[in-house]
Amino acid sequence: MSQDQQQKAGPEFLLGAWMKTATDFWGSMTEMWQSTLATQQKSTSSQKNAKARPQELWDASFNIWQTMVSAYSTPETMDAAARGMHALPEIVLRMAKTGWEGYFHLQQQWLEKAGTIGSRTEAYKFEDLDRDTFRAWLEIYQKDFGQFLNIPQLGLTRSYQERINRAVDKFNLFQVEAAEFLYLFYLPLEKSLRVMGENFQELSQEGNLSDNFKDYYNMWIKILEGHYMTLFKSPEYTLALSKAINSAEDFIDARQELLADGLKALHIPTDKDMDELYKELYLLKKKVKALEKKVDNR
Amino acid sequence: MSQFKIPVDRILAKVAEDAERVRTISEKASDVLLGPLDTDISTTPGEVVYREDRLTLKHYAPIGGDGPKTPLLIVYALINRETMLDLQPGRSVVQNFLKEGIDLYMIEWGYPTRKDRYLTIDDHVNGYMDNVMDFIRQRQNLSKVNLMGVCMGGTFSVIYAALHPEKVKNLITTVTPTNFDTEKGLLHIWFKDFDVDRTVKTFGNMPGDLLNIIFLLLNPARLMIDKYVGFLENIDNKVFVENFMRMEKWIFDSPDVPGETFRQFIKDCYQNNLLIKNKMEVGGTRVDLKKITMPLLNIYGRFDHLVPPEACELLTRKIGSKDTEDICLDTGHIGIYVSSKCQKELSPKIARWLKERDKIEQKAEATKSRAKKSNDKKSKARAKASPRKKKKAGNQI
Repeated sequence: MSQDQQQKAGPEFLLGAWMKTATDFWGSMTEMWQSTLATQQKSTSSQKNAKARPQELWDASFNIWQTMVSAYSTPETMDAAARGMHALPEIVLRMAKTGWEGYFHLQQQWLEKAGTIGSRTEAYKFEDLDRDTFRAWLEIYQKDFGQFLNIPQLGLTRSYQERINRAVDKFNLFQVEAAEFLYLFYLPLEKSLRVMGENFQELSQEGNLSDNFKDYYNMWIKILEGHYMTLFKSPEYTLALSKAINSAEDFIDARQELLADGLKALHIPTDKDMDELYKELYLLKKKVKALEKKVDNR
Repeated sequence: MSQFKIPVDRILAKVAEDAERVRTISEKASDVLLGPLDTDISTTPGEVVYREDRLTLKHYAPIGGDGPKTPLLIVYALINRETMLDLQPGRSVVQNFLKEGIDLYMIEWGYPTRKDRYLTIDDHVNGYMDNVMDFIRQRQNLSKVNLMGVCMGGTFSVIYAALHPEKVKNLITTVTPTNFDTEKGLLHIWFKDFDVDRTVKTFGNMPGDLLNIIFLLLNPARLMIDKYVGFLENIDNKVFVENFMRMEKWIFDSPDVPGETFRQFIKDCYQNNLLIKNKMEVGGTRVDLKKITMPLLNIYGRFDHLVPPEACELLTRKIGSKDTEDICLDTGHIGIYVSSKCQKELSPKIARWLKERDKIEQKAEATKSRAKKSNDKKSKARAKASPRKKKKAGNQI
């Protein structure tokens, strides 16, 4: 493709061509409209004063358009606009690249971890659990996806949009924390089965295998209970539990704020409105009860 | 790992043997589940004698005679309901107390709604509890009443006894946490880092369902698996099913806990352990355990995973009274009230202890009156011997 052809296919060339065509079209349309209007005014003198408010408006708008087109036609402006237009796909591409990189990184982490799940910790030991998968997912979400939800919103609906984004963001964070908590909660099940396997082996070697299923069940439930007790006392579990509860509460809070917008539109009092009322009622009742007691004691 | 052989053939043979039994159980189970089941709880008749907001006070008249002279007020926790003390006929602490001749009052806290979120520990202790105590004292024409607290209700009772010692004759605490600085109970570990401000901000009150989830997570193997396996094994046993359903009804009947009360309980007790250090403030007054000068009976469970012995046993050493007794029963948190073995121990022990305190009081009163009489006699004798002195005394009066 020659340089001339490349230029002709570029966005600045297309924009310039479109502006010229649009100006030509609306210019001829205006002329037509003016001539029609002039004929009408001749026939109805009573409408003389009403002339042309729409026409004046149109004229003003068209003049602005023409000024803009002529301003754009200067080589400097065209160059600046073209640079912006060239940059746009680049920005989009960069955004997509960041997202994909994050996704691939996560996938890579998953693949690495998938093979090792269950073999990372020893039975009855829950220290130093490898929870990198969830941390990686959280990090990627916060760095690559979550930040888009925190872009400041503009205009009249700004606060509403921000509340929607906040609810979505908190929901996503809750999903990650809940997944980590559930993973930890599942570990004792997995470990208890492994210990059961070892017990089977021992019993088999000793020739003490029972033919009563209930014996195995009792053995398993006892092992499971022990594993849970060990897990529950580990700092990792306490941390995961409190994070899961906190993130659930953050999401519920954000959801309530969002719902409150809907309730307000329907003229239904929100929790916040009711809480204010309840507080006043509480203080009032407390005061009355204290006074009542004072009177009774006299 | 070397190969091992599970006797699948023998297990399968056993399963086949059991097949007939399983079929019979299934048939009976459908009869049991589809037939009428008596699963009512809290059936002992009582009279509602006082109401305030969501609170009701029930009075139970004693069945047996020769009980303690002073009525006993039971204060249950705000978590779960007091129906646990009256689960079923023959397994009811309330009925056992009545048989022991105890004149019984019990507070029912009811179900807090969002409007109750601002109620504090002060409102419960210096408000509701004090009003109830005043009501009973007035109704029975007494200056003091016996007070018994259960779990968190016990903590409230300890606070009440420290703030109003003049109104409490004897104090009984059962599975009552007062020392929160222990790593033995999982709740004590988990609540240390619990963000209670966030919870109260989000929910207003602490939801009963959330508390239930936390309790289930304390022992999921037993509470979420084994319990229901046991139910399935006994599903053809009508009495077992009825008892199981009663317990199930009680466990999942969980009122919310008023937000501000929960916030203070977690922060002052679980996170800062202020009560046992005499640093907790309720209604602007410091709770000084040394002011608890009445006799104290402190009962707790050796295998209690919610309120371990370490959380209970320190109390008797920290209060002002010298008449204290610790009893550690070989059971868990709920077992104290519902296990057949403890049913036979708990109520008779409490009744006996209260009656002994009556006797000690009678003895003390008799000694006091004897001393008074002898003092009067001595004074009269002195007056006879020295009329001038009498005159002087008379002048002084």
